[in-house]
Amino acid sequence: MSAIHVTTKINGDVVDYVCEADETLLDVLRNRLGLTGAKEGCSTGDCGACSVTIDGRLTCSCLVLGAEADGREIGTIEGMAKGDELHPLQRKFLEHAALQCGICTPGILVAAKSLLEHNPKPTETEVRFGLAGNLCRCTGYDKIVRAVMDAAQEMRRA
Amino acid sequence: MAIIGPVQQKNMGPPHSRIDGRAKVTGAAPYASDFAVGRPAYAYFVTSSIARGRITGFDMAAAGQVPGLLDILTYETMRGAVKKPTFFAGGGYAGTTIRPLDGPEIFHDGQIVAVVLADSYESAREAAYKVKVTCQAEQPAATFGSAGATTEDAADAKGHEDPAVGDIAAGLAAASATVDADYATPTQHHNPIELFTTTCAWTGDKLTVYEPSQIVHGLKHGVAEQLGIPPDHVRIVSPFVGGAFGSKASVTPRTALAAIAARCLGRPVKLVLTREQGFSVATYRAETRHHLRLGADADGKFTALSHEAWEVTSRPDSYLVAGTDTTARLYACPNVFTKVHLVHVDRNTPGFMRSPPEVPYLFPLECAIDEVAEKLGLDPIELRRRNDTMKEPIGGLPYTSRSLMECFDQAAESFGWARRSAAPASMRDGDWLIGWGCASTCYPTALAPATARVILWKDGRVKVETAAHDLGTGAYTALAQVAAERLGVPVGQVTIALGDSDLPPSPVAGGSITTASVSSVIAKACDAIRAKLGVNDSALIDPGIRVAGFERLGVALVQEYAEFAPHGAKPEGIDKLYAGLSTLKGGAMLEDRIQYAFGAEFVEVRIHARTREIRVPRVHGAFAAGRIVNPKTAHSQLMGGLIWGVSSALHEATEMDLGTARYINDNFADYLVPVNADIEDVSVILVPERDTQVNPLGIKGLGELGNVGTNAAVANAVYHATGRRIRELPIRLEKLLA
Amino acid sequence: MRPFIFERATSPESAIAAFHADRATSFLAGGTTLLDLMKLDVVRPERVIDINALGANEIEISEDRLRLGASVRMADAEAQEELRRRVPMLTQSLALAASTQLRHMATLAGNVLQRTRCPYFRDVSWSACNKRLPGSGCAAMAGFNRQHAVLGASDACIATYPSDFAQALIALDATVDVVGRRGRRQLPFAKLHVPPGRTPEVETTLAPDELILGFEMPIEPWMSRSLYLKIRDRDSYEFALASAAVALEVDGGAVRQARIALGGVAAVPWRAREAEQALIGRVLDEASCQLAADIAFAKAQPREHNAYKPLLGRQTVARALLQAAAMEA
Repeated sequence: MSAIHVTTKINGDVVDYVCEADETLLDVLRNRLGLTGAKEGCSTGDCGACSVTIDGRLTCSCLVLGAEADGREIGTIEGMAKGDELHPLQRKFLEHAALQCGICTPGILVAAKSLLEHNPKPTETEVRFGLAGNLCRCTGYDKIVRAVMDAAQEMRRA
Repeated sequence: MAIIGPVQQKNMGPPHSRIDGRAKVTGAAPYASDFAVGRPAYAYFVTSSIARGRITGFDMAAAGQVPGLLDILTYETMRGAVKKPTFFAGGGYAGTTIRPLDGPEIFHDGQIVAVVLADSYESAREAAYKVKVTCQAEQPAATFGSAGATTEDAADAKGHEDPAVGDIAAGLAAASATVDADYATPTQHHNPIELFTTTCAWTGDKLTVYEPSQIVHGLKHGVAEQLGIPPDHVRIVSPFVGGAFGSKASVTPRTALAAIAARCLGRPVKLVLTREQGFSVATYRAETRHHLRLGADADGKFTALSHEAWEVTSRPDSYLVAGTDTTARLYACPNVFTKVHLVHVDRNTPGFMRSPPEVPYLFPLECAIDEVAEKLGLDPIELRRRNDTMKEPIGGLPYTSRSLMECFDQAAESFGWARRSAAPASMRDGDWLIGWGCASTCYPTALAPATARVILWKDGRVKVETAAHDLGTGAYTALAQVAAERLGVPVGQVTIALGDSDLPPSPVAGGSITTASVSSVIAKACDAIRAKLGVNDSALIDPGIRVAGFERLGVALVQEYAEFAPHGAKPEGIDKLYAGLSTLKGGAMLEDRIQYAFGAEFVEVRIHARTREIRVPRVHGAFAAGRIVNPKTAHSQLMGGLIWGVSSALHEATEMDLGTARYINDNFADYLVPVNADIEDVSVILVPERDTQVNPLGIKGLGELGNVGTNAAVANAVYHATGRRIRELPIRLEKLLA
Repeated sequence: MRPFIFERATSPESAIAAFHADRATSFLAGGTTLLDLMKLDVVRPERVIDINALGANEIEISEDRLRLGASVRMADAEAQEELRRRVPMLTQSLALAASTQLRHMATLAGNVLQRTRCPYFRDVSWSACNKRLPGSGCAAMAGFNRQHAVLGASDACIATYPSDFAQALIALDATVDVVGRRGRRQLPFAKLHVPPGRTPEVETTLAPDELILGFEMPIEPWMSRSLYLKIRDRDSYEFALASAAVALEVDGGAVRQARIALGGVAAVPWRAREAEQALIGRVLDEASCQLAADIAFAKAQPREHNAYKPLLGRQTVARALLQAAAMEA
């Protein structure tokens, strides 16, 4: 197998990497680039823990090849806070206790951010169904919805 | 949306956000597989596709051609390499005594039969797919009633005693209403979102293991036992655990295999099990069957309770949960009979899963109570009130505290139970049948010996070190709050180290014992520091007093190590703790008293009149568990428990192919747990309770309290909606269709 | 995954040119089926051609026709306000499928070509699967078959066809645009999939080198009275236990035209034409809807764990029809 050279942008920074054809984007992020915020919970697209955005689209990075990322822009949890300043969603998740073990949290935050970008004023039902692809086993579902609703309101005011 | 948030009430600490939360929301919190080790090799397991038989050969030809392949370990080269593990139920560490790679015998589907090692994960997986294993298969027994299943009396298996009192026949004869019914609960898997991962790295003869664990000292000793090396050559690192629920509380066979592989290769080895492999490499909640008889007289006083149960286990291991220890003692009843049987089949060994005994055993009892209430024309809450007791009926021991009916009163009020129309199938909203049901919940309050070191600096910084575990429970935060309060500093000045076997040992994060046990020892260490500073037991410590104390002592820091042993613990408890063993004391295990936490759970179901899908728009629970250290994280634990309970009642079941004794739905598309869309109003009420006996701080564990009563509450609500008693979990639409 | 060669195609022509008849070649779009099955070792292509940059992204809605490019992502089609209004069945079938993530990834063509969720197919450690290993048998017949098909299955295979969107396409008489080495062709969507019969490994009439370019269908005003009803254990993110795509043309209280397609219960996209016929000229009421539902499942062949499906399917059809009848046209 021949290595594939990929040029991409991750959280705004240009990143070059070399990967094998059969490596998933999730494995590239975690094993080659040290971006371990995206988690592997199933590797079959069923849990959402590996969620990232590719060109603004919410994606399970376990079902994307690293090679596919060439020329595209990737957003991960590591790019969500601006320096020390947490994104409103991150702050509201802390405030509302919308996380427990935390393994699903990066994926949910990435999904919630994408949801609010597409729909800044979602209804509760839209949030519940919009985040249905992110399993939380602990489980903090109701608190997650409250945190997202609260963050949405704050972001609209800002 | 939940209407009741965590507010500080009597005997509760201040609600505090997670001190580890920032690391978690930024993706910075390191879980076991996030640790970078230099140039790791990757391991991938080949697992058995038969449940019983023998391996007759391997064909490695194709696998051997895979670029990057380093080695393939099988029993042919590994026999004897892993020493015989001691089973945790016999006072050891391992969740199973089955030793993969020790011989050709196959004990269960998914048994590890080869370990493939390669330079990359992808190569290891590819080679694993190319390993051909030939087997001589025998007909396996999958479950109860399967040919070849063998039954043993649990009382013979491990010194379990079946609690009983009075004369059950006389009690049943005296009843004016009785229920006599069979119930079934399915196999369930914990399925934490974090996969079962292990990374092993050797430095000389010292091994470091990065693995998510609920018992780092136990894992350390268990791995040492299996490798035949001194325990102090092993270090377990597990600062963050991505959910566990019991699945990471005992040693699985994977750790020693990864360690041996790393030693063979002379480089670190990284192992990440697939979701599917986790179903058979780790443990699960055993499938159970129950025959329950409950009788009550015309006044609603119970006259007889007979609870006989059967639990599935593996061929070699007698894993037993025996929830009759609880059901026999939950209500006043003069005549109680119980009996538990173990049924050995060709499956992997089951193990603890969140509220192991109470979840399967309270389901039949709390359903039967609903049935008896209906027969007597009594409200089910009233029936429970008439049988509420401050003394358990088997030994007549007093409860240290019991707020069951206060919980019912508060939850009923919040839920609006008074508006319920009692007749089945009498509430409806358009095409949707509505049912309201309730059940009691309870969980034994146990504690275990614990140790901790606390350091206080003159400037008010505090460090707490103890090898306890935060599985998402909020232990980091609650334990920091205890130290902060005792030492009179803000929580933000406390740093806390957990999840590392180099720290002073703490017990397993299981049995809901962490907060009570570890807070107790931290408080003890803090009190020793206070004493050094000249602060008496009840006085507040403020910065002035602290600084004065330090100046008097002429030191920059004060460090105290403490050991705590709970009521009923034997003196050797601390030694055992240092050997990685947790000795739980409490619940119904004490000679002089009984200690439990209680709650009441209310559920509304909506069932479509035509297509019969079941939805749960509302769940309200009220819980009393002594002192609540952090209402915010306690609230999350209980809410998560309620959602777990809904999941158990309606969704979760590990399905088997009965002919081959193999798991079918071993993935997250088919093993259903609720998604965000399934959960609406989940309200948690914390009922203030003071218990002066359970431990000096008056704390009862609550991590497993939330998900116990829910199975029955849902089943009772389904009955109320439809008039159908479903006694077999999970309750799926096909059971309500015809 | 087995080793494969990764290539990118930027047009249908280059994709087809990259196709090698002598090597197992797969086209990669959303990846939600292909990469999943490659990881599970069920599918083992030697060449993977990334067609994400190929185009075919158009959504064209006119007075009387709709064209959806093959590469349109499910989420993008679902978000079309005009479509939601004019053919609710279509957007609902998309919105009720999978998760936000998967709907953003998966293409429309990929969705209709997705493979069955039969656990015996998806796990290569099961040796008996006629779909995966022709002639090896079917472990699902005597195994755990709660999800399996009761319509259109065969003695060789009872796997359920999983897509929701396909039920809307077959109900709407869509056509499929296909391109391959021998050029372009169009076929009715109903002819795209083939029932398992004795060759369950053959799932479609597409040649290996053929790519779907898009879907076309007539839109008529009465199609605003349509819906997709999906019944499942949880409220979201689950394949259907039973589903019904229905559209009704009602004139003066009587049915002039009905479309009924069934998901979750059949081996292929399933149009219940006899049930549709039974409604023509009838007033939609409990009796007529139940009659149509009964006809739809008259030939159902249930097994041990899916014995509930004919009844659930009938209830689903009846409920969907009654709900559609109650809609404002």
